[in-house]
Amino acid sequence: MDPFGSSAPPSGASSGPSAEAMMEQIKTQLAQAYAKEFLETVGSKCFAKCITKPGTSISGSESSCISRCIDRYIEATGIISRSLFSSPH
Amino acid sequence: MDNSAELQRFLEQEKQKAMVSEMVGKLTSVCWDKCITGTPGSKFSSSESTCLTNCAQRYMDMSMMIMKRFQSMQ
Repeated sequence: MDPFGSSAPPSGASSGPSAEAMMEQIKTQLAQAYAKEFLETVGSKCFAKCITKPGTSISGSESSCISRCIDRYIEATGIISRSLFSSPH
Repeated sequence: MDNSAELQRFLEQEKQKAMVSEMVGKLTSVCWDKCITGTPGSKFSSSESTCLTNCAQRYMDMSMMIMKRFQSMQ
């Protein structure tokens, strides 16, 4: 994950992009990187749980398993972050 | 240059956020595999959610132990 890799700063120092513009761009790229990583993780976790024996198409029960799995994974992420940051520890 | 200080502070903040997000993501993955053994239901059972909470906290305890252990080796 390298959110900074593709955007080299332009040469000619004084007329470069403003700090605000750069920060906006970095934020967008970070958000994309976080989303991509999350989607990949959810995909591999739910594939493992729900598609135990891949058939010629995704069955109704598999697809409802996938949607429950996505909801539970998001919920689990919330439980984990709460348990780390809101506990006397 | 003022812009550069501002940018520096912004990058530092984002670095912190990235570290936190990486840790939450990693722990969620590890604890999901440990605690959610069956097919995901429409609601977590209380034992599943307790397991997730304990799992994250014990992982942090363990990391602390490992760190101390390595420090004492030097």
